[in-house]
Amino acid sequence: MTNGAVTNGGPTATTDAPTPTPGRGIRRIRVPQKLRNLELFLLLFVCAVNAFAVVLVQFGALGYADMTVFTLGAGLAVLVLGLHVALRFVATNADPFILPIAALLNGIGIAIIYRIDIAEKLTGWESTAVRQVVWSGLAIALALVVILVIRNHRVLQRYTYLAMLVAAILLLLPMLPVIGQEINGARVWIHFGGFSFQPGEVAKIALAVFFAGYLVSRRDSLSMVGTKFLGLRFPRARDLGPILVLWALSMAIIIFQRDLGTALLYFGLFVVMIYVATGRASWVVLGVGLFLAGAVIAGQVLVYVNDRFTNWLDAFNPAIYDAQGGSYQLVQGLFGLANGGLIGTGLGEGRPDITPLAQSDYVIASIGEELGLAGMFAILALYLLFISRGFRISFAGQDDFGRLLGVGLSFTVALQCFIVIGGVTRVIPLTGLTAPFMAAGGSSLVANWIIVALLLRLSDTVRNQPRLVI
Amino acid sequence: MSELTLLILQLAFLALLWVFIFIVVYAMRSDLFGQRVRKLKDAAPAAAGVAAAGAPGAASAGAGAGAAASVAPAAPAPQTPAPKVPTFVPAPGTELSGPPHATTSNASRLVITSGAKSGSEIPLGNEPLTIGRSSDSSVVIRDDYTSTHHARLMIWGDEWVIQDLDSTNGTFLDGQRVSAPVHIPLNTPIRIGATSFELRR
Repeated sequence: MTNGAVTNGGPTATTDAPTPTPGRGIRRIRVPQKLRNLELFLLLFVCAVNAFAVVLVQFGALGYADMTVFTLGAGLAVLVLGLHVALRFVATNADPFILPIAALLNGIGIAIIYRIDIAEKLTGWESTAVRQVVWSGLAIALALVVILVIRNHRVLQRYTYLAMLVAAILLLLPMLPVIGQEINGARVWIHFGGFSFQPGEVAKIALAVFFAGYLVSRRDSLSMVGTKFLGLRFPRARDLGPILVLWALSMAIIIFQRDLGTALLYFGLFVVMIYVATGRASWVVLGVGLFLAGAVIAGQVLVYVNDRFTNWLDAFNPAIYDAQGGSYQLVQGLFGLANGGLIGTGLGEGRPDITPLAQSDYVIASIGEELGLAGMFAILALYLLFISRGFRISFAGQDDFGRLLGVGLSFTVALQCFIVIGGVTRVIPLTGLTAPFMAAGGSSLVANWIIVALLLRLSDTVRNQPRLVI
Repeated sequence: MSELTLLILQLAFLALLWVFIFIVVYAMRSDLFGQRVRKLKDAAPAAAGVAAAGAPGAASAGAGAGAAASVAPAAPAPQTPAPKVPTFVPAPGTELSGPPHATTSNASRLVITSGAKSGSEIPLGNEPLTIGRSSDSSVVIRDDYTSTHHARLMIWGDEWVIQDLDSTNGTFLDGQRVSAPVHIPLNTPIRIGATSFELRR
């Protein structure tokens, strides 16, 4: 032990404890990256599972396995391992579970999309799975950029109102005449070049940033004053502005963009964030009341909303089942789930392709059919773990902006899962949202991987911050 | 591919999915149940795991009213435990007859006893703490007397040790300037600049 600091103090200690570094001169202590090593282990496991899924799809649907596993499985593996290596340098203390869970969901999604491709005989660039891998690459690259550019989440607070502007522009883009595009009745896409994008998916992140920044500065007036009624403290009329604006916005989305799911997502996000910021249940009561009132009125006035309600409540009525835009898709999804049973038909052996949109909106039904209840619950558990990690990160944070942002971002994922899986399993009326990380679609992937990046960044700052400042 | 092979592969795949979930849950169990409480081997089991019982400082006096039921049998003031790592000889100046050394099992919090944030405390885990003016320290002290990297609390074996990182104005353990890493006795003030703190149960 050649340590100058110790020899000064009498008999030299020989312990197996970490030897103290000399006080003189600054030498970087090399700390074993325990969190990153755990992440690497989980990621390697995940990559094996993803490759296994693709091979199983080929065995089940084609009867043989070829090199596709390398393009589909290895493509994603390289990307996530690349992100992992980057984290070792730029976000050493980031949470080790978020990335593997997202990678596993993404990988299983690709396998199931590939399975539908086989059924529909799509190959090459026609193949949705190949495009999904490319989109994943783009999304993970963007996530990396976010981690590199945003070195501390608190800078986002500076751009509170800019975030609002960005969200508004993104929401309005599909309404523009040339690039806006209407698919299946909903006007939420923009179209340029050869591909379409759903800007509303990215808008939810900008909205979460805006809500977090706005509520941090305003929550005192939103939480302190008000009149007590029926045991709940309700806000003053003049503080109702923000929630009414958001309600009007979501109603506008329902009316003009004809997209129930997105409207519910934004409004739910706002209600939850204002509840977390103020801790008053009256906001939830108000929010749910407003939305239910709006939904009932929309159901009376708007034909397409009314159709959704009828399809939901009376799905097995033959007249509705056979009608144009009827409950055919919903019922086929349910039949698929029933066909799966407890352990599923086996990857590649069911008929999930009968359901329309089996790769995107109905990817959950496809998984339920081929992996069964056991697989479905595994997927739900993965979502649950992901969201609980997000809440946990926010809970550990010390600045209110970061806490609110973390809660908002994780809750968008949670609410989106609820809306899409609830719609497919006929718990709530069906609305067109994508299952995070799994469904085919670039915009959803990009948005959710950016959420992953922000949560990783948040968790890194949370662990790095001083425990006490005097 | 026979039906049976496919079925077995399918079951293996589902099992793998669930294995992954359980690995993740197992790895994050400390979030769900808190840090694992270690069993105390020596005669000082007083209140390692029951720090929340709220008997600060003088808990060893044994009259903690609220937590008396669980703590009472162990209440008599613990004597200095025999050093468990015999290879370590404490630096001179550390009195063996004083309060027992702070170990990871008997010290659960760091309490600021004087200075701007007097009264605040942080829970001690199993990780070392750094103290200094720089914002990457675990405890940031911003006053005129503190150096950028001033001192640190380390764990040797399982005992807390303080080391002065060659600071300008020094670190004082019970009034004596720390020149080499020394064991920290429980409830003994450590002064850095205008701030003093103690390790307590």
